[in-house]
Amino acid sequence: MKPNALLPRPAPFLPTARQALVVAVFTLLLSWLLHKLSRTPYATVFGHIGFIGAVLLFAYSSADRLRPRWLSTGKARLMAVVLAAPLASLMTAIGVQGRDVITYLSNIKTLSGYVMMVVLGVVFGVAFSLLALRAERRERERADRLQVELEKNTLERELVDARLRLLQAQIEPHFLFNTLANVEALVAAGSPNAGPVLRHLIAYLRAAMPRLGDADATLGAELQLVRAYLELMHMRMPDRLRFSVASLPPLESMRFPAMALLTLVENAVRHGIDPSPSGGMIDVGGCYIAHDDQVVLWVCDSGVGMSETAQPGTGLSNLRSRLHGFYGANARLDLHEETPHGMRVELRFQHGEKI
Amino acid sequence: MKQPTALIADDEPLLRERLRSHLATLWPELRVLDDARNGSEAVELFELHQPQVVFLDIHMPGMSGIEAARALGRRAHLVFVTAYEQYALQAFEYGAVDYLVKPIDPARLTDTVQRLRRQLDGPLPGGAALDAMLDQLAGRLGQRVEARRWLQWIKASVGTSVRLIPVEQVCYLRAEEKYTLVVWEDGEVLIRKSIRELAEQLDPERFVQTHRSVIVNLAHVAEMVRGVNETAELRLRGRGEVLPVSRSYLHHFRQM
Repeated sequence: MKPNALLPRPAPFLPTARQALVVAVFTLLLSWLLHKLSRTPYATVFGHIGFIGAVLLFAYSSADRLRPRWLSTGKARLMAVVLAAPLASLMTAIGVQGRDVITYLSNIKTLSGYVMMVVLGVVFGVAFSLLALRAERRERERADRLQVELEKNTLERELVDARLRLLQAQIEPHFLFNTLANVEALVAAGSPNAGPVLRHLIAYLRAAMPRLGDADATLGAELQLVRAYLELMHMRMPDRLRFSVASLPPLESMRFPAMALLTLVENAVRHGIDPSPSGGMIDVGGCYIAHDDQVVLWVCDSGVGMSETAQPGTGLSNLRSRLHGFYGANARLDLHEETPHGMRVELRFQHGEKI
Repeated sequence: MKQPTALIADDEPLLRERLRSHLATLWPELRVLDDARNGSEAVELFELHQPQVVFLDIHMPGMSGIEAARALGRRAHLVFVTAYEQYALQAFEYGAVDYLVKPIDPARLTDTVQRLRRQLDGPLPGGAALDAMLDQLAGRLGQRVEARRWLQWIKASVGTSVRLIPVEQVCYLRAEEKYTLVVWEDGEVLIRKSIRELAEQLDPERFVQTHRSVIVNLAHVAEMVRGVNETAELRLRGRGEVLPVSRSYLHHFRQM
C-alpha cells in the first residue's frame, strides 16, 4: 500500500456541524417551552439554556482529546457532560446575579430554579450524548467494515495477480537450451540415457506449460515434476548435484497448487547449488502431523545460502499468496538457514481432507 | 608448424565432451589439453598449460566466463560458449571475440575453426576492443554492482535454527534495550541488531522511524491519528497495536 493511504484522522476538538445544529434547534425549542411555562422573557431563558447547551456540547466534543488513557471515549464524554451541567448552570447564575449569587442560591425558590436547570442539563445532556455515541459507534463500525472489505479485496487481487503471473511464467530459455544441448550430446554419443532423459524433459515441459486451473493438480503429480526436473539437473551437473525426493503415499492424492514445490526446488538449484563450485544436496520431503491436521513439506539444500540483501524474487511472495488462496490464511511459507550453509524452505498448511 | 592447443571450460561435463568430440572431427590436429569446470579452474589450467585457444562457457559457478576472460586478457584466442544470452549476443557483434551457441551447430563451429586457424599464425586480437566488449557483456548480464542494497531479509535465531523473514512481512520493529523486537505477520522474535543499525540498512522508502525506538513498515500502516503536542499514533492493518509517532519524527508523515 502506498504511504498516501495514511489519511490523518484527527479526533476533533470542536463538535461537528450536525451536532451543533441539533443542539441549537433543541435549545431553541426547550427555551420556548420554558418561556411559556415560566413567563420569563424568551431572550433570558434562551440566554441560559443556550449557554448551558453550548458548554455541554463542547464538554462532549473535547472530552475525547483531553481524556486520560485509562478512560474510554464513551465514559469520558458522559462524565464530562455530567460534570459540566452544574458548572454551566452555576456560571449562568454568576453571570446574571454577579456578587449576589450566594443570596440567590440560598433562596429556596431561586435555588429550586437552579437545581431544575442542572437536572435538565444532566438529563438532556446524557440523552443526547448517548445518541451521539451510538452514531459514532455505527460510523466506526462502518469504517472498520470498509477496511476489512478493502483488505479482502487486496488479498483477492493478489491471488489473481499470482495466477496471472503463473500463466505468464515461461520456461527459462537458458534452462531449456542447456538441457537440449545435453540431450543432443547423449544422442550423439549413442548413450542409453538419452531416452529416459528426454522423457524427463517432456514431463517437465508438459507440467510447466501455462495453464489456468489448479483444480486437478495433486501433490503426487508435483513430486513427479520435481523428480523430473532434478533428474535433468543431475544429468547436467552430475558431480555437483545430489538429491532425494521422498514419496509420501498417504498425501499424494491431496490437491496441491501446481508448480509450488517446483518453484522452491528451482530456487534451490539456481541460488543455492548453481553458484557453488562444489555443489550440494537437495532434499525434498514432507510429513503429516495428525494431531493438528497439518501438512509440512520442505525443500532443503546445502548450497551457498542467501545474503541478507539478496533480492527476493517475485516467486516467493507469489507462492505465498497462492498458498493462502489454496489453503486459507493460516498456510505458511517459512525460510530457515541451514548449518553450515544452505537453506530450508518449509510449507505448512491444514490438510482439511480425510486421509 | 607446432600443433595447436586448446582448453575447454564448461561446468556441464556432457557439454565439454560434446565440444571435444566436435573438435576432434572438425579440427583433428587441435590438441585439447584439459577441461575446466569453472572460471577459476580455467585460469589455473591456462597458467599451467598455456594453450593458444580457450573455449569459455559464460555461465559458470564461482568465477564466470567473463571474469575468467578478463584474467586471461590478451594471452589466448577466446571463444565464448553460451546456451542463451539474448542480450549478450549483441555484444559479440563488435567482433572482438568469437562465440558459439549451445547445442553447437557443426557448420557454425567449422567457421570458427577456420577463423582460428587463420588467426593462430598472426598476432592475438583484443586490446581495447576486448575490454570494451567484456564491460558491455558484464553490463548486459546484470553483473554490475548496485549502488546501494537494502536489507531484504531479517535473520533471526529461533531455537537452534536461523529464520529468514522477508522484510515485506515485517510490520514493525521496536528497540528492547540492546536487542530489537521484530514483529511480523506470523509472530515476533528478538534479534541482536540495534534499531539504529536497522534504520540504516532498511529501505527508507518502505520503512520509517516513527520514534526513538520504533521503525514501522509503511505497507502495514492502516491510519494515523494526530494527538496533542505535535505527536501522533499509528494503527496497523489487521493488528491491535498502536504505535507512537514522536514529535521529532512526525515530519516523515507531514506530506501525507
